[in-house]
Amino acid sequence: MTSGPADPDDELVRRAGQGDAAAVQALVARKLRRVLALAERMLGDPAEAEDVAQETFFRVWRNAARWRPGVARFDTWLHRVTLNLCYDRLRRRRERPVAEPPDAPDPGPAPDRGLLAADIGVRVRAALQGLPPRQREAIVLCHYQELGNIEAAGLMGVSIEALESLLSRGRRALKSALADLAGPD
Amino acid sequence: MTWEDMSEERFLTLAAAYGADMARWPSGDRAAAEAFVAANPKIVEACLAAERLLDAALERYRERDAAAPLRARIIAAAPRERAAGAMWRWLTGAGLGLGLAASCAAGVAAGYTLGHPAVARLMGPALLDSGQLSAVADPAGDAAAS
Repeated sequence: MTSGPADPDDELVRRAGQGDAAAVQALVARKLRRVLALAERMLGDPAEAEDVAQETFFRVWRNAARWRPGVARFDTWLHRVTLNLCYDRLRRRRERPVAEPPDAPDPGPAPDRGLLAADIGVRVRAALQGLPPRQREAIVLCHYQELGNIEAAGLMGVSIEALESLLSRGRRALKSALADLAGPD
Repeated sequence: MTWEDMSEERFLTLAAAYGADMARWPSGDRAAAEAFVAANPKIVEACLAAERLLDAALERYRERDAAAPLRARIIAAAPRERAAGAMWRWLTGAGLGLGLAASCAAGVAAGYTLGHPAVARLMGPALLDSGQLSAVADPAGDAAAS
């Protein structure tokens, strides 16, 4: 049972579960971008992230009618479903290694040009994908999804100390992978 | 709240985990961290510079808007998926009910069969003596069998 303020999503989920088309649209408007961002940063592949986002919402539609307010925050549950689907895909990748990773990003800057903002984004994506999944998950949840440390730790099933350890190890690895970005301009 | 409420080690741990933007730090640590910053500007600057660079780089990996076709597919699927969820719940509920009903029916049938005098004769006196059939045995039949 959670305590604290009421879940701002409860009412929309309840209405969506009753087949209210406006609630369905509002829930998608409120959550799709967030779910897609989580999946994309966990998987590093936009097409796979879209598949995961779609399946996540299909599960929402299938289960909204039996959503019980107060048992868990809907946003937390949504993150858990998305992460489970992401981990399914990461597991499948390990079991069936592909010859070439999807959308393989450039490992470094091109020699004949400076780094544009988009280039840096590609570098960061590659560096994130190079992290062990649990470190990546911690950084994505805390930095990008802006979850509080208690919620993120609960979602990951670890203590706050363990979460902070995952975060600091992940950030240290990212600093090392992106060290050339800090060089003189 | 004073800066002494936070050790340098704890400050460094928080910066390494959550980055340079203290708005991202745990709310319970924030006031002490801000006091620490005011009292120890040199330590703070050295520690936060690298974190600030990483934060800036992370911000370059921007999220994108969901493509319109994806959004449309998800919305269009809601009635179908909702019906599928309801059907699944009905089936699992009905399955459970059927399972229970089948168990009951099997139990009654077994009780009736075992209680039948002909079967009781075949099973021999040991079973009858055990009292296992008392709840389902037919007294008239028992009398006839004895």
